[in-house]
Amino acid sequence: MSTKHSVAAGRFLKGDRAVWHDETLWMVRAKRDAMSHSLPEWEQLRDAAAAIKNYSNSHLADLLEEFERNATAAGVHVHWASDAEEFCATVADILEAHGAKHLVKSKSMLAEECGLTPYLEARGIEAAETDLGERILQLMHQRPSHIVLPAIHLRKEEIGDLFRREGMHVDPGNNDQTYLTHAARRDWRHKFLEADAAMTGCNFAVAETGECVVCTNEGNAEMGTSQPKLQITAFGLEKVVPDRRSLGVFTRLLARSATGQPVTTYTAHYRKPRPGGELHFIIVDNGRTDILASPDHVKMLNCLRCGACMNTCPVYRRSGGHSYTYFIPGPVGINLGMLKDPARYSDNVSACSLCHSCQDVCPAKIDLAEQIYKWRQVLDGYGVASAAKKHLSQALEWVIDHPHLFGAAVRNAHLVNSLPHWLMYNRLNEWGKEHDMMHFPHESFSEMWKRGKVMPARTNKENDGEKD
Amino acid sequence: MEKKTDSREAILARIRRNTQRVYERPDLSALEQAAIHYDDRVEQFRKVMHQMGGRAVLVQPGDDLNELIRQQYPDARRVASALDRVEVCGREQALTCPTFHPDSVACSRDLDGTDLAIVRGSWGVCENGAVWIAADVEQRAVYFIAEALAIVLDRNCLVDNMHEAYRRIDTGAYGFGVFISGPSKTADIEQALVFGAHGAADVTVFLV
Ligand code: SF4
Repeated sequence: MSTKHSVAAGRFLKGDRAVWHDETLWMVRAKRDAMSHSLPEWEQLRDAAAAIKNYSNSHLADLLEEFERNATAAGVHVHWASDAEEFCATVADILEAHGAKHLVKSKSMLAEECGLTPYLEARGIEAAETDLGERILQLMHQRPSHIVLPAIHLRKEEIGDLFRREGMHVDPGNNDQTYLTHAARRDWRHKFLEADAAMTGCNFAVAETGECVVCTNEGNAEMGTSQPKLQITAFGLEKVVPDRRSLGVFTRLLARSATGQPVTTYTAHYRKPRPGGELHFIIVDNGRTDILASPDHVKMLNCLRCGACMNTCPVYRRSGGHSYTYFIPGPVGINLGMLKDPARYSDNVSACSLCHSCQDVCPAKIDLAEQIYKWRQVLDGYGVASAAKKHLSQALEWVIDHPHLFGAAVRNAHLVNSLPHWLMYNRLNEWGKEHDMMHFPHESFSEMWKRGKVMPARTNKENDGEKD
Repeated sequence: MEKKTDSREAILARIRRNTQRVYERPDLSALEQAAIHYDDRVEQFRKVMHQMGGRAVLVQPGDDLNELIRQQYPDARRVASALDRVEVCGREQALTCPTFHPDSVACSRDLDGTDLAIVRGSWGVCENGAVWIAADVEQRAVYFIAEALAIVLDRNCLVDNMHEAYRRIDTGAYGFGVFISGPSKTADIEQALVFGAHGAADVTVFLV
């Protein structure tokens, strides 16, 4: 019953990066926790973010029209694109109208989703990534393995070797991270200076002001958009928020959730074209309006693309971003892939232990695990549910539906600890096969609770995944 | 693919047709009331600037700001600034250390090689070290391209958190503004934190 994910995950685990990958992402998760604990109002912030997104995503037409009105009044050209093809063509048309051949790009999940770079290259336009990690991957002809930490799967030696192959000014054998980063800063500066146009994605499009807000740590988007006078900023239509007041909520959550920083280094607001320049905003649908029609999955449109659900996911941490078949990995990617094309991306649905850690950390309170569970229930419809996993989950459901059996099962779970390894990891125990079995405590939670051994947590409990 | 002119109408129609449950606009006032605040804002701002990899210098009455900037950046030769006078602790001072105005260059790329840019911040945020800068020059590259950035900020313009900041900021005549919190950074190579990715590698906020 191997899925493409489990086969690729097996390969990843055999490599020498698996432990480092797991521990490093766990460290990012821990930094996020420290940030969330430093704000007493953290849970209120998450509630507010979810409520604003629920409001925005149920008033998209009005908000987008308001955004367009205000942006147009400020001298911005606003375009609408129904799908990937139309989006790419719109960008290419703008660039060609200006004879632009060299575009500097800052990280945009939307551009990735729509295949913009290959499209432009085919028309003779260079689209150079400017985020350090993204540029490294572009030169290596690889795809990102994480939405916020794109090159997390690479070693510094591989990056040093790449820089030397590319003829950058880097000493042989010196792979120090600071040294390599500063070499990239020096050597790539000319890309910004020589560009004809700059393109960015957008974290928030503000209806009230008609401005686009872009958050980065490196300053690559800001550097790019302040060199050439032609700027294109594109976003999926769910990025629209009502007003600046809502940005107070989102900017407090985004970086804290993503990397455990209090805020990104740069939060840039683009409202007007530069003097003598042009500013184009492109509003893209590409399947988002279909998601609106799905009550079970509409909350996916709340996503801020912070990556917290990936950092915390025990399966992602141990399998790496490249083991997923959709270009966005982890819990968010499993769901977005299924919404894009369920038959094509169903392999990822099994890459989830249903530990619910993702939805406990999600700043926009998306019910990621519950949605994955729902997809599993309909996999049959796509003819891909594996017989073995189906039996397991049916058994589990039956136990959960019968509370006395569930109680007995949990009370006796610690007996599993003393079962011989061969019994726990036999072919019928589908969890033991790719996951080490958890160690069951001698007292169940409800027994401990009854004996007063458990104190209520200060805030809502944060599920640590199965890591202890 | 729909024809370009039709896409706007088609997208709006799909949104209106597909929207199912409609949610109320939330009231944020309780959250904003409850949001973190600090008794000693200057001290908190200094702490958080340090945490973000920059520094905050509290200018004392009688200090010469030019002197303080030169002490911090003794090797800076090309110094860009649009400021010529700054109020320091209630007294106006002439800013003499800049060597050129950022809008005196013919094009943005000529700003490459700027050692230091001295710019005015409007608001500083104590929870995260972010300083709001509304563009007051045509060449906004100056905020990003210089090796180091010195931000002059009135110590009375420190606010507790981003809710407070967003009630006050605006983008100004050039329609561009940016919160900057410390130096440019990346951790893209093995998660090792490195300052100076593409933007300023060093940031000092002078609280006047
Ligand atoms: S689903 Fe939530 S946690 Fe995951 S990337 Fe989106 S906002 Fe972040």
